[in-house]
Amino acid sequence: MNLKPQNPLHGLTRRHFFSRCGMGLGSIALASLMDRSQVLGAAPGSHPLAPKPTQFPARAKNVIYLFMAGGPSQLDLFDHKPRLNALNGQPIPDSYLEGKRFAFMDSSFKNKSTLLGTKRAFRQHGQSGMWVSELFPHTAGIVDDVTFVRTVATNVFNHAPAKLFMNTGSAQFGRPSMGAWATYGLGSEAENLPGFVVLQSGPRGPRGGAVNWGSGFLPTSYQGVPLRGQGEPILNLTTPAGISAERQQRAIAAVKDLNLQRLVETGDPEIATRIAAYELAYRMQTSAPEAIDLSGESDATLKLYGVDKAKPSFARNCLLARRLIERGVRFVQLYHTNWDSHGGPGENLENDFEKVCHEVDQGQAALVKDLKSRGLLDDTLVIWGGEFGRTPMGESRDKTGRNHHIEATTMWLAGGGVKSGYVLGETDELGFSPIADRVHVHDLHATILHLLGLDHKRLTFRFQGRDFRLTDVHGEVVTKLLA
Amino acid sequence: MISLRALFLACGLLWGGPLGAVDYLREVKPLLTEQCVTCHGAEQAKAGLRLDTAAAASQGGEHGAAWVAGRAAESLLVQVLEARHGEVARMPYKKPPLTPAQVATVRAWIEAGAQAPAEEVPGRKLHWSLVPPLRPAVPAVHPSNWARNPIDHFVLARLASAGLAPSPEADRVTLLRRVQLDLTGLPPTPAQVTAFLADLRPDAYERVVERLLHSPHYGERWGRHWLDLARYADSNGYSVDAPRSIWPWRDWVVNAFNADQPFDQFVIEQLAGDLLPDATREQRIATGFHRNTQLNEEGGIDPEQFRIESVLDRVNTTGTALLGLTVGCAQCHDHKFDPLSQREYFQLYAFFNQQDEPSLEAGSSEQFATRDAVRARMKPLRAELDALAETLKPKFADWEAALTPETREQLPLEVRTVLGLRPADRKPAQVKLALDGFYRTQPGYREAEQRLKAAAKDEPVLPKTLVLAERPEPRDNFIFIKGDFTRRGADVAPGTPAVLHPFSQGHARSGIPNRLDLARWLMNPANPLTARVMVNRVWQQYFGLGIVPTENDFGTQGAPPTHPELLDWLAVEFMRPEIGDRSSELKSPDVSAQSSNSHLPTPAAWSFKHLHRLIVTSATYRQASKVRPDLAEKDPTNKLLARQNRLRLDAEIVRDVALAASGRLNPTLGGQSVFPPQPDGVMNLGQSSREWKPSTGNDRFRRGMYTFYWRATPHPALAVFDTADAFSACTRRLRSNTPLQALTLLNDAAFVELADALAQRIQAEAPEAQRLEFGFRLCTSRTPNPAERARLQTLLDEEARDGGTEKAWQTFARVLLNLDETITRE
Repeated sequence: MNLKPQNPLHGLTRRHFFSRCGMGLGSIALASLMDRSQVLGAAPGSHPLAPKPTQFPARAKNVIYLFMAGGPSQLDLFDHKPRLNALNGQPIPDSYLEGKRFAFMDSSFKNKSTLLGTKRAFRQHGQSGMWVSELFPHTAGIVDDVTFVRTVATNVFNHAPAKLFMNTGSAQFGRPSMGAWATYGLGSEAENLPGFVVLQSGPRGPRGGAVNWGSGFLPTSYQGVPLRGQGEPILNLTTPAGISAERQQRAIAAVKDLNLQRLVETGDPEIATRIAAYELAYRMQTSAPEAIDLSGESDATLKLYGVDKAKPSFARNCLLARRLIERGVRFVQLYHTNWDSHGGPGENLENDFEKVCHEVDQGQAALVKDLKSRGLLDDTLVIWGGEFGRTPMGESRDKTGRNHHIEATTMWLAGGGVKSGYVLGETDELGFSPIADRVHVHDLHATILHLLGLDHKRLTFRFQGRDFRLTDVHGEVVTKLLA
Repeated sequence: MISLRALFLACGLLWGGPLGAVDYLREVKPLLTEQCVTCHGAEQAKAGLRLDTAAAASQGGEHGAAWVAGRAAESLLVQVLEARHGEVARMPYKKPPLTPAQVATVRAWIEAGAQAPAEEVPGRKLHWSLVPPLRPAVPAVHPSNWARNPIDHFVLARLASAGLAPSPEADRVTLLRRVQLDLTGLPPTPAQVTAFLADLRPDAYERVVERLLHSPHYGERWGRHWLDLARYADSNGYSVDAPRSIWPWRDWVVNAFNADQPFDQFVIEQLAGDLLPDATREQRIATGFHRNTQLNEEGGIDPEQFRIESVLDRVNTTGTALLGLTVGCAQCHDHKFDPLSQREYFQLYAFFNQQDEPSLEAGSSEQFATRDAVRARMKPLRAELDALAETLKPKFADWEAALTPETREQLPLEVRTVLGLRPADRKPAQVKLALDGFYRTQPGYREAEQRLKAAAKDEPVLPKTLVLAERPEPRDNFIFIKGDFTRRGADVAPGTPAVLHPFSQGHARSGIPNRLDLARWLMNPANPLTARVMVNRVWQQYFGLGIVPTENDFGTQGAPPTHPELLDWLAVEFMRPEIGDRSSELKSPDVSAQSSNSHLPTPAAWSFKHLHRLIVTSATYRQASKVRPDLAEKDPTNKLLARQNRLRLDAEIVRDVALAASGRLNPTLGGQSVFPPQPDGVMNLGQSSREWKPSTGNDRFRRGMYTFYWRATPHPALAVFDTADAFSACTRRLRSNTPLQALTLLNDAAFVELADALAQRIQAEAPEAQRLEFGFRLCTSRTPNPAERARLQTLLDEEARDGGTEKAWQTFARVLLNLDETITRE
């Protein structure tokens, strides 16, 4: 499906006027003006975010992607390796390292690196008997609704390029992110909100910044819009200080009337798109604050997530994600920093790691439970993961930590057409490499698009003379994890 | 000729008849070359079959020989042409079938024994863009009184063949605003509009064009387009995204456009200015073009990996910007569609693999002169100080020995610390510290030191800029298998793609071709691509789309030109101009000469200003942009240019128009990038929370192109209007139209500030009765029609009732800055 615009001059920017406009001006008057502009030759195109049909029946309508910025240690959370514990402190056999590349190559490999067992207790949970470490007590309670993929492999071992790779399928800047591809392919059901929303928590922004949710060469209509959980939710959403709502409304009404006159005069359908954009902007001024207003949420819900109304948190963003999905937003991505357990100050595998695990555990589990109890989980795919895993070998800094590791890490998915209580993939006895069912990032992308009813090979956009796709020239749908 | 005889052949009437046997070279080979060798030739041989020589064809491929001499019906070639082969699809694959007459020609030749010469040069079909352009004849057209220059002849001929008529000229105000925005990125002032309307000379418009081409803002406007291609930004990119200083290169570009530096020189200096004989500082600054690559400063990276990424980026950017080819496709494998092998990719790579990446002091000649003068003043002062130190030095030991606890206590701490060490244990830096401490206790020394410091204060700090320099020791070059730098393949030497014009070296000192050879090869007029690619991009800025709509792909997967002859004519005229230049006449205010072309001087080769002049004075450019019902079906995307196009302004120009209308614009050219206000929190979106301290004073109101560009967190008002992302060469800005743009114009503090300024300006500069019209003209250049006037008056009345006059004008100004027309070039 190459959604090339009919009129490449205008790009994918025209709005299906009659389906979605309404506010203010009488529809009949508007329709007659529009008719006149059509007589002048302005064929109305379709609004870029108008819902579009899937390529085949979809399993999921929406996505909530919980992005753990950095590399959470799968060996201390999900991938239980008794043998690694038994070999703690012993050098890793050479056969594992041959031909492999790592971050911090110089400093980490001056001395032969030794294996590091986990200090965390693992237990099996749920009907499915899934292994989860003590650091995720709440998450342990949702394992029967989750598919664990223990063998996710990536290409890139530095943060910014790896995060880009996970989001865009390329380590190079300038490619569209998964959320942009999804809204490009499907549009959005949200009438009054952007189709792709980004929420952030943790001590700093994710490395690489806005390119992680950028639209690359796709039109900017598809880029992720950062939504802040408190205060002004969207940049420039608030009417400027000193200007009353009435004056703002009068200004917008005058802009519209004058734009309409110009539309009639010139016949340029781009003006109709702009009128519609102002209407959506106006509606967003009300709908975005409403979306982040938690006053309607019950105490039980707030308690389930562990949300303190007065504080920003990952848990709050999880709750907001549910609210956004309810309002038709297609793709919500949460970033939580900082998962980088090298062992240096603020990033050790002990209390620092416990802290970040604690920050996400209750919220992410509550999200899955809440979606399920509201009947939203069937239509919503929840994805959890970082940008790569961590090594079975220890890394010595102030304390012992683990280095970046691209061979294998664990991610989990829930709802939206994936199996429940299922584990896909197996790593070797040290948790170093996959020995069965390796799932490359490109495969994951292909599968996510598949669940959304999109064929990763047919969702393309022509740029610089080439048809680009999220999966570049790679990717196989991982059918084993489909429910 | 073929068809007549083939007709007979097809009817089976003529067998060895009077027209004789089919000649392979004259009749069969051109057919095969035209229809088949793109897929069955030297560049690719699908199914193992080549049809570029008869010998290769009879040798055959996976499905056997292409023909059996004397037995046409059994021959594979005939079977696939006639769609009756069991396994192989009808050929040419997914293209229109050959005509019966053409098939009959092939049949007849095979039946007659498939005779062909033994020594045969392989047939080769070159894609149109790889054939050097020749100056086409300018078509004669009717009505010839519409056409103003050759451009119009080409456009009108194409329109006529489609049964379409061009649009009338745009009204004068629209035309003035259009050309001024296109050439300088700034709207005309109301006074300029009035003056233009009052200038009734027949060449009033041409005079405006000359004024604009000589405005320094011309260089900003067209320089910015070049910055898009060069992926210019003020930070290093990747995750750390630290600031960098490369704005002197940006200023070099603006100056080069203003000086109308010929395009060939412009490119040669940017690719290889450092290698030119006796390279000037400016020529070395020019090499910043390829220092606009990103730099990864993240911990734990393999620096070689990211050095290589930069080199790959330089190859790809050169290919995109100057050849219009998707060169990057050949990084991992031979190009799938265009005649470019992976080896050739790495031959280009080899040119860019030999550089170091130093920085260079930039600055005006005045700054350098000032610094030289200051240093000259400092020299005797330093000599005086040194001499004094020299005479004092022998007395140090005595001085130290004579120190009492009290006198010691008066010395600075660090001096006392050193004196606490035994002389043998003092390091050289500590010895110096102690000596300085001693000197300063001696009469006259401090005073001499102060005199030197005072003089040094005048020394200007010169900005640095990033440049390229050739390495003394060359690196080895390899093909990377599948593009992976950890997998080295065969060695390669610098070289250029074989399908393009021949490469001649001769400038290299070492005998190995270098970047200068590459740059000169690129700008050789025999190059079939670069001139076409560039005139197409210039055209695209004026009409929204290029003559080749895929401005970034002139290869086989790109779209063909809508006006191939016009493209070639423009390309040749750009390289070797023949149309005379009237600009010198037009600059003298009183002469309204109508000289004939033959008396006019010929402009310089590769002159951008000449190209602009031709396009913006054409009747094609001057047409009205109003949508026409009759075109809706015949040419809905306006490919044939029966009218102009309305184009939303570029991100930077959206800001510039608001600055100009409000009267706040600071028109200063160049210098360090600035920090206009932006919403809080934007800088937190990146890994490093960097400070954005809004500029104060006049720097707050600089043109949009001077806004400091952080790659990871670009200014939201620019990003939302589709500014270039500075990651790879941007060949065309998108023109999206989104609610976030509406929120920006409505609510962004910077636009609100400018709206307030506009409101004040309207009240200050116009008498009450004319304010509405004056404000409207500041933003759209034209006067409002009665309906618009009435609507705006209603707004003013309502607002005045609600909040008083002051607030009414504020709302009025906000409405004007939000109009679609204000941010559109009509």
